[in-house]
Amino acid sequence: MDHDNAFGELIQEYIAESLPLAEAVTDAFLALERRWRDGDTDAADAAGLKGTLHTLKGNSAMMGLAPIQLVAHVLEDLTARILADTAARTEAAAALLVEGSGLLADLVQAAANPAALGGAAEEYAGRVRVHLGTAGDPVGQPLRLERRNIERRADAGADASGTIRVDFRRLDTMLEIFGEAMIERSALLEVYRGLTARYGSGPEIADLERAVSALGATMKRLETALMQTRLLPIATVFGRFGRAVRDLARDERKRVRLVTEGDDTRLDKTILDRLGEPLVHLLSNAIVHGVEPEAERVRVGKPPEATVLLRAATLADQVQITVADDGRGLDTDRIVAKARALGLDAPSADREAIHALIFVPGFSTAEQVSTVAGRGVGLDAAAAAIHALGGGIEVASEPGRGTSFTLTLPLTLAIVRSLIVEVDEERYAVPLSHVAETVRLEPGTLHEINSRGVAMWRGSAIHVADGGQLLGTGATRTAPRNYYVVLFAGPRRRGLLVDRLVGHQDVVVKGLDPTLGRPDVVSGATILGDGRVACILDAAGIVALREVA
Amino acid sequence: MSHATPRPGTFLVVDDSALHHQMYRLIFSKGPLAGSTVYHAMNGREGYALLAAHPELTLVLLDLNMPEMNGLELLSRRQAEGLHPHVPVVLVTTESTPEDEARGRGAGAWDYLRKPFQPADVERLIARLQAERAPAA
Repeated sequence: MDHDNAFGELIQEYIAESLPLAEAVTDAFLALERRWRDGDTDAADAAGLKGTLHTLKGNSAMMGLAPIQLVAHVLEDLTARILADTAARTEAAAALLVEGSGLLADLVQAAANPAALGGAAEEYAGRVRVHLGTAGDPVGQPLRLERRNIERRADAGADASGTIRVDFRRLDTMLEIFGEAMIERSALLEVYRGLTARYGSGPEIADLERAVSALGATMKRLETALMQTRLLPIATVFGRFGRAVRDLARDERKRVRLVTEGDDTRLDKTILDRLGEPLVHLLSNAIVHGVEPEAERVRVGKPPEATVLLRAATLADQVQITVADDGRGLDTDRIVAKARALGLDAPSADREAIHALIFVPGFSTAEQVSTVAGRGVGLDAAAAAIHALGGGIEVASEPGRGTSFTLTLPLTLAIVRSLIVEVDEERYAVPLSHVAETVRLEPGTLHEINSRGVAMWRGSAIHVADGGQLLGTGATRTAPRNYYVVLFAGPRRRGLLVDRLVGHQDVVVKGLDPTLGRPDVVSGATILGDGRVACILDAAGIVALREVA
Repeated sequence: MSHATPRPGTFLVVDDSALHHQMYRLIFSKGPLAGSTVYHAMNGREGYALLAAHPELTLVLLDLNMPEMNGLELLSRRQAEGLHPHVPVVLVTTESTPEDEARGRGAGAWDYLRKPFQPADVERLIARLQAERAPAA
């Protein structure tokens, strides 16, 4: 008697219809959470969401997808509560709604493989019931069905993927504790060195050395394992765009197909959370400016329906995301003309350099506000957001063939591979993702032009700023600095004069007290192996600074 | 618990969910209802036009919540215009209050079908309708 699966063959139709609903609910709860945080606890639009959740619950029930039904059910209860009771509009409730709707979308997406749906639904539902104070209430059918599904899975000997959901802040706490353990390990290492210096070698010292070095290796493994727990599939971000692309294309009266690849590429949640906005900018740009009107496409022999590709791939310890369209490509003549009109230096021959102009602040927004009513598509904003994540953005374009933006992002922001430098006896961490090269300063290679330091680096002149002045160390310089570090962000370069290169180190990033100021040049702080506190330099910010003495 | 077996017929499904149309397609292509003729409408407006064109319908399965003329609006308009009053209509709802049901019956709904449903629920409903409408022996 297996009536739940009467519609089993419709699973793809179910996913196609339910996923946009679940994603719309997620977006709405995210917006609601933001509004509540800003003090506006209106919940009027949640009434519509309750209906959507009800539909999702019903559809999932008809498909026999009990875990999804359960999540929709408790979300509906929670929504009913916040609608009925203004006092229930708390941060905790908003967080549960956001989490649950995200889970709902994940489960819908995985619905074709019901064995994987598993315990996350029940675990989440349990927490919602505790939150609502209905922990003892039977939820009836969904729970029974769930239990039966679990039994069936066990019968089939299927691998029950033991997944639990953990509050992300707990992972942050673990990472902080890990950072402290790294510092303590360094202290231990110092003690070991001290003992060796004092008593020379001996069997106990050799044992200690082995223990310290084994601890180091284990810590490295712990770091890797910890990082793995923070990575989520990029599908959670890509999944949001289907609807937005469709709507925008409709507004533009264009036919656009969004193709995603590499949805299971994994990235740190903190990066994923901040990736949505720049990607929306790039996708809007592709649809509004890249894709030609249908008639024009037909005239030049292209398929009337345009394709916009969103692709993610892991390359070593970086993730590359491509947003590509098969539209008309960038118009270099117009870019040059506009750059000149804006008073920018416009190269006339180098196509790549011309393309790079579109990321200059103010360049892309100015015109688009007038051409597309009210829709400022800020490529500069997208580029700034990517740089702030420690990433890079590049554009490639073929006239008539299309435009493709390539973003390169670190896997995580929590641990940053850094070059440790010393300036006026202070140590600083420079993210290696922004270091092009370190150069020993030979006498006579640094020139002063218009009272700014300039050096020739790989055949072109770059500005070189003094680390002490930039960072405000306040020290009076007596001797020239020994090195400069070439920083880059996108196409820009800038040298930074330092006294000493200390070495490479993975540093655990800690937030910076906002009262400390100098936000342009410092992005965070860390504790070095020797226990010293060091600032992490905001390389993208330094490179972007307009005037540095 | 056994129920009478329904016979194939001509059905109109009015629903804005593509998934539900596929579900009905399965129900009407397998089991005792296989061989039925099914017309599909994605909103009330289309549904009304199809109802007008097919007086021979055995039954209309009408979703309550739809954009562009919901189920109740369709029923009210049919009543006002006296369009094929002999064709029974079942309102399909997810959650209906007794008040909703009263309004639906007042507007001429023969019965309700509650989501989530399974094929057997639809089969049972149609068997009951056919038994009720059969000429008295």
